Amino acid sequence: MIRKSLIALTFAAIAPLASAQTVTMCVFDVIGANGDLYNMVKDYALEMKAHGVDFQLKPYTDEGVAVGDFNAGQCDAVAATDIRIRPFNRFTGSVGAVGAIPTYDDLKTLLATLAQPKAASLMKEGDYQVLGIVPAGAGYLFVNDRSIDTAGELAGKRIATLDYQKDAIHMVNFIKATVVPSDITNFAGKFNNGSVDLAYAPAFAYQALELYKGIGDKGGIVDYPLAQLTIQIIARNSAIDDETAQQSREVAWGMFPQAMKLIASQEEGIPDSTWIRIPEEDIQGYQEMFRQNRLEMRDGVNGAPSVYDPKMLTLLSKIRCASQPSASECTAGNRE
Amino acid sequence: MNPSTILLVGNKAVSCLKLSVLTALLFLAGCSVNPIYKTTGIVLSNYSESEATPYVMQMSDPRMACALGEGLDPLMYSFSRVTDAPESTGSLLMLLAANCMEFRAWEAELAYLRADFEGQVPKAKDAREEAKRLYAQTAKRRYIAFTRAMAAYDFDPAAEPLKCPELENDQAELTFLVGLLTGMQAIVNDANSGALAGIPRNIAPQTERAASCVDNEKWGGLPEAVRALVWLLLPDTRPASSPDPWIVLRRSSELGVKSGIRASYALEAVAAETFGRPDVLAEVIAGFAAAEDTIDVWDDYRLVDKSAGRVIRFSSDKYWTSHYGYRTPQAFFGKLSPERSTENIEVMDLDGLL
Repeated sequence: MIRKSLIALTFAAIAPLASAQTVTMCVFDVIGANGDLYNMVKDYALEMKAHGVDFQLKPYTDEGVAVGDFNAGQCDAVAATDIRIRPFNRFTGSVGAVGAIPTYDDLKTLLATLAQPKAASLMKEGDYQVLGIVPAGAGYLFVNDRSIDTAGELAGKRIATLDYQKDAIHMVNFIKATVVPSDITNFAGKFNNGSVDLAYAPAFAYQALELYKGIGDKGGIVDYPLAQLTIQIIARNSAIDDETAQQSREVAWGMFPQAMKLIASQEEGIPDSTWIRIPEEDIQGYQEMFRQNRLEMRDGVNGAPSVYDPKMLTLLSKIRCASQPSASECTAGNRE
Repeated sequence: MNPSTILLVGNKAVSCLKLSVLTALLFLAGCSVNPIYKTTGIVLSNYSESEATPYVMQMSDPRMACALGEGLDPLMYSFSRVTDAPESTGSLLMLLAANCMEFRAWEAELAYLRADFEGQVPKAKDAREEAKRLYAQTAKRRYIAFTRAMAAYDFDPAAEPLKCPELENDQAELTFLVGLLTGMQAIVNDANSGALAGIPRNIAPQTERAASCVDNEKWGGLPEAVRALVWLLLPDTRPASSPDPWIVLRRSSELGVKSGIRASYALEAVAAETFGRPDVLAEVIAGFAAAEDTIDVWDDYRLVDKSAGRVIRFSSDKYWTSHYGYRTPQAFFGKLSPERSTENIEVMDLDGLL
C-alpha cells in the first residue's frame, strides 16, 4: 500500500514535466536574448507552461535567418515581425498595412478581436497557425529636414527601404521618392551619415540606433504612424493542437499592456521638439492616399504588388470607422 | 595647587573655550558650509582614491567588496553636498553596490529557472518577477556608476568627434574602462528587468567609441571585447576593416589570461548567451575554468578577475539549472554536462574476491 502510494506520489510529482509538450521556437530580437522582445517572449513561454507547453527558445538577431531556420524545420515555431510572417498567414500579415491603424486604441481593438475564439479559423492558413500577436510600436518617418512635412515634398528624396518589404517599396515609388534598398542592420547608418534623406522605424530605433544623429538640428520625426509593427508567433499545425493554440493567442493578448508600456516609454524618450506635428486636414489627405494604395495592393492593380488580405483590410476599415465614424472613407463607395 | 586655584584656572579655561567657540561661530555665520565637513570630504575623497581603492581592488572577495559599496556609497557621495563630488570613487562604490543587487537578482533568476524546470509555474513567475525588480535596481545603480565614471574624467560620451579623456594613471584608466563596461551591463540588466529602469540604449554605441581610448593589450583585451560585443549588437558600428567580432572576443579572452585579468571572458559569455551560441558558451566556461590553474592573476586588480569569475559561474549555473534543475556542482565547473568521463579507465577483475 505504502509502495503504491509512493509510486502515485512520484508520478504526481513528475506529472507536470511528463505532460508538457516541447515546442522549439526561433525568436527574433535585434539584440538577441538580452533584448526587450526576447524577454517578453520568455514571459509568454512561462505563461504557456501552465497550459502544458514547454517552449524552448532560441535567440536570433537576424530575422531572415530565424524565419529561414523555421522553414528548414530547425524550430517548430517562430516569433518575427509581421513583414516576415506574411507568407505564413496573409490575413495577420496584413496587420501592418500602410496607414491602416492610425492609433494604438484601434490596434487594441484589433488585437482583442483577433484573440477571440471566434477568430480561430482566420488564424490558420495551410500548414501554419498564428499563436499570438504583440505590438512592437508604430513605424514613423524620420526626416533630416523638418521642412519636408507634406507628401508632395517627399518626391525625389532618398528613402532607406527594407528590400523585402514590397508594400513599402510600392509606397516609396508612389510618392516619387527613391528607394535605397536597406536592411535592419544598415538603414540607421545610411540615415545618420546622410546617404539617405529619410528612414522609417519604430521609436525604439531613435535611441538604440542613434537616429537623432541623422535628424540633427534640422530634422525630426513625423508624428503619424505609417504602419503598426507587430511581432507574431507562427507555428506548424503539427506542433500544437487547436485548443492550446487558442489559449496561446489569449495569453499573447494578455501581454498587450506590457508591450504598450514598453512602446510608450520608447516614444516618451523622444524629445517633444523632435516630433513634427502635421495639421489635421493633411492627415485626412494622407489617410485617403494610403487607403487608395491599400486597395491597389489588395488587388494587385496599377503595378502594385498583391500583398494585402481583403478580409483584414475590411476589419481594419470597420475598426477605424467605429472610432472615427465621420471619416470620409466610411461613406466611400469603394470601402475596403 | 589648592582647590580654589584649580577652580580659577578651570573657569579661565572654560571662558577661553567659550570665546573660541563664539569666535568660530561668528566666523562661520556667513558661510553656508561647515569647513570641517568640507575638509573631511576632501580628505576622505583623496584617501579613498589613493589608499582605499587600490586596497579594495586587490581584494578577492566580491561579496565583501559589494557590501562595502552599498554601505559606504551614500556616506561618501554625501560629501558632494559640501565639496566637489567624488566622482571616480563614487563610480566604483556604486558599481560595487550594483554588483550586490545583481547577486540577489542572480539568485532570483536561478530560483525562476529551478521552478521552471520543475514545472511549478506560479513559483517560477514569482521568482522571475522578483528577478526583474532586482535587475531594474541593478540597472539603475549601474547607470549612476557609468555617469559618475564619465563625469570623473570630464568625458562626454556623446561628443563627436571623439575626444579621449586624460587618464593620468592605471587606476584612472581602469575606472574609466570599467565605467564603460558598467554602462553596457546596465543595458543588459534593464532588458532583463522588462525595461523597468528605462536605461538609454545609446550607451552601447557610445561605449564602442570610447573603449578605443584605453590600451587594449594592457587591460587584457577588455577594450576590444567591449567593442566587439557592440559590433555584434549593432553591426552598423563595426568598422569596415575590423575582424570578425567572435574572433576578437576569443583573442581578448586569451589576452585576458596572459594579462592576469579575465574580464573579457565575461563579455564573451554574455555574447554567447545573447546570440544563442551554446557552443561558444561551453568553450568560454571550459576555457575560464582551465585557466584557473595556470593564470598569474594581476594582484593589483584581483577583484576584477574574481568578479569576472562570478559572471562565468553564473552563466554556468544558469545552464545547469535550466537543463538539470540545479546549479553547477563544484567538481563540474568547466563542463556543461553531468556525465562523468568514465571511459578508458582500467578496472580490476573482482572474480577472485567474490
